[in-house]
Amino acid sequence: MASFKTYFLKRIILALVVLYFVITITFVLSHVVPSDPAELYVGPKATAEQREKAIKELGLDQPLYIQYIRYFKNLVNGDLGKSLRAHTPVLHDILTYLPATLEIVILANILALIIGVAFGSYSALKKDMFADHLIRVISVGGVSIPSFWFALITQLVFFGILGIFPLDGRLSSDVQLFNPVHTVTGFFTIDSLITGNIVAFVDSVRHIILPAFVLATYPIGLVTRMVRSMMVEVLNENYIRFAKANGFRDNLIYYKYALKNAITPALMALGLSFAYSITGAFLVEVIFSWPGLGTYTVNAILENDYPAILGVTIFGTIFYVFINLFLDTLQAYLDPRVRLQ
Amino acid sequence: MIYSNTSRKAISKIAIIGIAVVVIIAGLGTYLYYTQFSKPSLKSSLVYAYVSDFPDLDPSIAFEDEQVILANVYEALVFYNSSNTNNPLTPWLATSWSHSPDGLEWTFNLRKGVLFHDGSELKASSVKAAIERTIRMGLGAAYIWDAVKEIQASDDYTVKFILKYPAPLAQIASSQYGAWITGPSTPSNDTEATEWFNQGKDSGTGPYMIEKYEAGFQVVLTKFDKYWKGWSGNHVEKVLVKSVRDPTARLQAIKAGEADITLDLPVDYLKELKTNENVEIISAPSYRNLLGMINTKQEYTNNVLVRQAISYAFPYDAVIKNVMQGYATQSRGPIPVGMLGHFEDLTQYTYNLEKAKQLLTQAGYPNGGFTLTLTYTSGDELEKQVAELYKAELEKLGITLEIKEMTTKAKYALARGDPTQAQHILLFYWWPTYITPYDFLYSLFHTEKKVIFNFAYYYNSTYDDLIDTASQLEGTDLNKALQLYHQAQEQVVDDAASLFILDMDTIMITNKKVHNFSPNSAYTEVVFFYDIWVEA
Repeated sequence: MASFKTYFLKRIILALVVLYFVITITFVLSHVVPSDPAELYVGPKATAEQREKAIKELGLDQPLYIQYIRYFKNLVNGDLGKSLRAHTPVLHDILTYLPATLEIVILANILALIIGVAFGSYSALKKDMFADHLIRVISVGGVSIPSFWFALITQLVFFGILGIFPLDGRLSSDVQLFNPVHTVTGFFTIDSLITGNIVAFVDSVRHIILPAFVLATYPIGLVTRMVRSMMVEVLNENYIRFAKANGFRDNLIYYKYALKNAITPALMALGLSFAYSITGAFLVEVIFSWPGLGTYTVNAILENDYPAILGVTIFGTIFYVFINLFLDTLQAYLDPRVRLQ
Repeated sequence: MIYSNTSRKAISKIAIIGIAVVVIIAGLGTYLYYTQFSKPSLKSSLVYAYVSDFPDLDPSIAFEDEQVILANVYEALVFYNSSNTNNPLTPWLATSWSHSPDGLEWTFNLRKGVLFHDGSELKASSVKAAIERTIRMGLGAAYIWDAVKEIQASDDYTVKFILKYPAPLAQIASSQYGAWITGPSTPSNDTEATEWFNQGKDSGTGPYMIEKYEAGFQVVLTKFDKYWKGWSGNHVEKVLVKSVRDPTARLQAIKAGEADITLDLPVDYLKELKTNENVEIISAPSYRNLLGMINTKQEYTNNVLVRQAISYAFPYDAVIKNVMQGYATQSRGPIPVGMLGHFEDLTQYTYNLEKAKQLLTQAGYPNGGFTLTLTYTSGDELEKQVAELYKAELEKLGITLEIKEMTTKAKYALARGDPTQAQHILLFYWWPTYITPYDFLYSLFHTEKKVIFNFAYYYNSTYDDLIDTASQLEGTDLNKALQLYHQAQEQVVDDAASLFILDMDTIMITNKKVHNFSPNSAYTEVVFFYDIWVEA
């Protein structure tokens, strides 16, 4: 097991190095962009004294490298700084917006897993037949359709023409006013259920379907394609033929022996797509006015609220790097060949 | 042949599950649609689709658009009723006020029986603590209290302000920024209190309490049962204020009835809405104007004749008609129309190229032959269009206008450097913090040791004296003060220190079912929800 430990250590160190560079690059970029943090902090009509006070308070009178060291020191203590506009701790903001994002991202990935595995394995079975071609076209479409375009089209069709789903937001206005959801987990669909708020539950489900589906199109395509190609490969393996020759039941062969081996790479890919969506879902969030981390980030960028931008970047990086690390370690643990690379 | 027919069936089971999931989701959606719960009557609630978010709900700091929320949750000592031009100051938390003859001592008598949202009664000590906190923190609009030396709570219902110099304290106390009275439930540590406010807590006396604050997205307000004006009659009990940045989305919301009130739609959309029977367009002066500050220290424009000439060359009517679709008026001096200190008899430059040419000839440039630079903020469509229309006019006089699109920071950096190297004309907006002509006249044209907003670099001691004196008299002898303000404005208009371009309107769009709504220009884009009611 010693080699596993070394592997794990190596990966941790690598992760920290990645993190360090991401922080540094983001810090430098957000500080060389022309903007006026002091003005943002005190407002456009502030007096000269207020402006100077803010410059001191924010440390803007110091050279960039001192600001950088200061930022790092605070970071180590878990302090991501304060938003320039809202004067609230960035970490607090991130944790406030995270649940909304997690809710659609998790739902999207569950959808992707179920639909992707089903499509992928069916397609593998029907290899080169009509159904296979159809699914392959769909999955290529899924990975290549720009999400913002697809989001607008679903809004047009399902809200504009059919009127089946609401346009945007997490809840309707009247539900928010008269049946507000009491936050427990921050997932409205779950919170409304456990607090017995059926009206809000129905409403939140109606609101989440479109954005979650749009967000799922890419991973659906991804999982379908991976499962299909792995399944085709696995089904040609000798052990499957052997199983068949021995008269094992088909269900057993496909569910237990074939799919299990075919699904692992797809799960890994899905894990990364999940981590990416935490901050990468912003296009979908903005179009659906979904009050998540993506929308928060966009606003921070538009205002050049650099502590917020840095905070989200660092948070997103940590999330991505550690999910990646977790998946790799899991794989290494399961498959000793990986460790040796 | 690798697969048997039966194995195909096995796999297709998985596919069936997949298809089933898609069908179930689609079915669920349709089901939910057709079995939609009956909507509760909207009579008691209202949705306001606002343009931006409310970054800081700390009443002592808030200086962006938070008054939209705060004016419904908190109250100030004095209310500014902009529709009553002759006597705009009306009692709010203070029932009456008076000042010593020299204007250095102001006494406010508090309303009795006013309760804060935590149930405690409004006392002089709270007023003192609230304003002292604002002053102490020195953020946002805290400077409006600059004249205050000391605040005394003489007894439970009397607050006395001792001033360093005379100032119109009743007007200051009606400010939409930095004058809200917070109550004893405010945490005593200032920074902790800011965090407390930004968690969606409040400590006001207003008709509504903040029920839920989702920073960046929306605020839910709910009625405060023990509000001192009571709840008899028609009132709105719950309000949702949403931040909808995209104008198309605001248009959709008001058309679909999702929002009852919204604002700031592009003029093309307004044309469309004019024919909509369910919607009403209400416009009111905004107290916000667009200025083109002219550099009085730079070559060419340091000559007053040139400044006057280019003031005559601006196509005022064309801009208002074509760019603003009539939702603005040509400025008459620096104070916007409808505001205290605006005079309809003030001199105004009109679009007159002949007159401009004449003045240029007098100045020694009969055929122009020089270049002026103009800076504007990148991304500002109005400023951009104004600049381009102006360029075409100046060309007719032989003057080349070099238009520079700059970020706010770069624009100000250039303008705050050496005036002789700075731009000739700078486009920007101004609006008052509290309603006083001094805000405009001081910030824009008073002599400055270091350039802050006087981008005309207009240094005129006669002018300075006029407005400084007027400001000190404003609280004690308003008529005399207004006279001096008039004189000062004539001076600055005559000196053509700026292009006085246009005074903007606030354009609110309401559902026809909303009744009793009239915008109050002193409280920018605020809807006083308590005053209006909505038909079911």
